[in-house]
Amino acid sequence: MKIKINGQTLELTSKLTSEQSSKRTIEHSNETPIYVDDALTKYFNNQQQSTFALALNGDFIGRDDYCSTPVKANDNIDILFPIQGG
Amino acid sequence: MTLTTGSLNIYGQKLSSRLLIGSALYPSPQVMKQAILASGSQVVTLSLKRQNPQENSGAQIWQYIQEIVTQVNGFLLPNTAGCKTAKEAITLAKMSREIFKTDWIKLEVIGDDYNLQPDPIELLNATEQLLNDGFNVLPYCTDDLVLCQRLYNLGCQVIMPWASPIGTGKGLMNPYNLETIRLRLPHATLILDAGIGKPSDACLAMEMGYDGILLNSAIALADDPVTMAKAFAGALVAGEQGYIAGVMQERQTAHPSTPTLDTPFWHQS
Repeated sequence: MKIKINGQTLELTSKLTSEQSSKRTIEHSNETPIYVDDALTKYFNNQQQSTFALALNGDFIGRDDYCSTPVKANDNIDILFPIQGG
Repeated sequence: MTLTTGSLNIYGQKLSSRLLIGSALYPSPQVMKQAILASGSQVVTLSLKRQNPQENSGAQIWQYIQEIVTQVNGFLLPNTAGCKTAKEAITLAKMSREIFKTDWIKLEVIGDDYNLQPDPIELLNATEQLLNDGFNVLPYCTDDLVLCQRLYNLGCQVIMPWASPIGTGKGLMNPYNLETIRLRLPHATLILDAGIGKPSDACLAMEMGYDGILLNSAIALADDPVTMAKAFAGALVAGEQGYIAGVMQERQTAHPSTPTLDTPFWHQS
């Protein structure tokens, strides 16, 4: 499936559909869901990154929830880093 | 010269400097550091943006600013620059809180791209939700008395009306509005934010009784940012002491400063 991270399209390997993903917790789908953590690993190309914060479809996702928050096709992830500001 | 002022209170945190300083637009990180140190400020603003992770420059800047803030025993003030809705600003505030580990947020919700004027409706909405979520909100707003009152009534202990649009350096566009806000909100911590161009602008606001000044461009874009930072530090102290000392009443007619009694040659012609 395809998602976008910071506007860049990223292909993630999964058969999980948007609908399945949203029903994942109640239907016990056999598909292996992809989580935010998985998307980050691919985006960062396995490089260790710690100084960032993340939003999924415009909503903040805390660091502790990366491994339990599923992503679905066409999701938008924003990863933000500190910069100088006024 | 020894500069002394009273302390600035930001949500219970007492600060020795009344100047809050931005970290953007400096010619180099080294000049930024020197200017911040020269300003005496203990509060440094910064932001969050998208970035190519391969560059890793975010982590470097973050580390650099952290070192400066630690050196001055200071505090970070993340902003929500670029947000146009309450939802965007709230999300960015939460992201900032996680990275910077502070409940302070300089809340910016821009309503117009031309003059970067804050959107009062979205600002109030975001402020209310963030306060309920435990943030200490420092809202950047226009010099509208009723808007400032509404922000104060929501629970903002600090309110930051603009002097003029961000980055213009036009100084205090509406001194009457700013004076009125000071008079009507005597217990709020009022920090003038944005539009300051010259040290005398900052001095004027402090003479009105403002509690502090937040600025960036006026120092960062000066020919010599470090010297300008010192100039602003002095201007804030001069303005504050002028306010404390009590400015004389303005008079409509001239009054001689030198006593006229026993003036030599008086009425001799």
